[in-house]
Amino acid sequence: MPLSSYESLFFWLFAIAAIFAGLLTVMARNAVHSALFLISSLVSVAALFVLSGAEFIAGVQILVYVGGVMVLFLFVIMLLNVGAEEEGREEIFNNQRQVTTSLIFCFLLVLGILYAVNTGSAVLLKDSQLSPEQVAEQQAVQNAGLKQSATGTSRITKDTQRVANSLYRYASLPFEIASILLLVAIVGSVMLARTLRQEASADDVDPETLKDESLHDPELLKFKTATE
Amino acid sequence: MISFLSSTLLFLFQEGGAATSPAGTMWENVKHPDLSKFLVVGALLFIIGVAGVLTRRNIIVIFMSIELILNAANLNFIAMSRYLQATGSANDLAGQIFAVFVIVVAAAEAAIGLGIVIALYRNKETIWVDEIDLLKW
Repeated sequence: MPLSSYESLFFWLFAIAAIFAGLLTVMARNAVHSALFLISSLVSVAALFVLSGAEFIAGVQILVYVGGVMVLFLFVIMLLNVGAEEEGREEIFNNQRQVTTSLIFCFLLVLGILYAVNTGSAVLLKDSQLSPEQVAEQQAVQNAGLKQSATGTSRITKDTQRVANSLYRYASLPFEIASILLLVAIVGSVMLARTLRQEASADDVDPETLKDESLHDPELLKFKTATE
Repeated sequence: MISFLSSTLLFLFQEGGAATSPAGTMWENVKHPDLSKFLVVGALLFIIGVAGVLTRRNIIVIFMSIELILNAANLNFIAMSRYLQATGSANDLAGQIFAVFVIVVAAAEAAIGLGIVIALYRNKETIWVDEIDLLKW
């Protein structure tokens, strides 16, 4: 499945952008900068998804990751607003042992992955004996069956229908389980992030906590006297 | 060791087997990136994420590194799915379906994790992981 001529330009562009933005995510001092670099990395990877013919996943990636998860991250960063690193008071890579460990593990991972790809390449590359021109021809034949878009310059992909067919045929039970997982995650995060006062209003405070905290909080004291 | 390293590095640009002219094959491989290039990009993103988890102290940045790791796994799944489509497998979109589930789990994990971070900050007034050592014995 080698990419054809101009696609490879975009592949290298977005691959380098994704790796560079990923590096900056890890190395940026300010957590907000980290989040923004992570967003650009995710968008670049979404572009790589488009290049591999997974348009639906690319759209989901941008909607869910960039539109949902990263906004959540930015909210939490703004909410906590801890700025020691951005003022330069904290060194980032100051713990020598951790840095050494991570470098060693990265080196081992690079070696292992290169070795695995190297030995597996004989099997993996069996299909790519076609020349790039032949691959482009095949793609043109496949694309000829697709509907034209409104402007007439491009064609509408059938990727979404195919993913949906495959999803409901092979993975309908995991799909339902995923919905339960999301429900549990919603309930769990709401339960985790409650304040003491919100717990009090739901009549769900730990009695031990109530004993200590209620002396300082008039509203909790009221709750305590009401329950007694 | 060094020969192994150089051979693996060389491999990145000329895995075409019997290379007729090394420079020409290399340029062909740059012009037409195939499955292994996607896998290497995914591996590099994964490694960057692991380095972030191991080195950073800010728990939110650690979470972001985990997202990076999951995203690298997704990239591998998508590349493999593309490879399966080229070989004509029966369920050639398995990789894309798995990527959907990875995204679902990542979203749930981010929601729960950030809920824990907020609860932790409320109790401990810190987001530096080396100051959060309640479970350390």
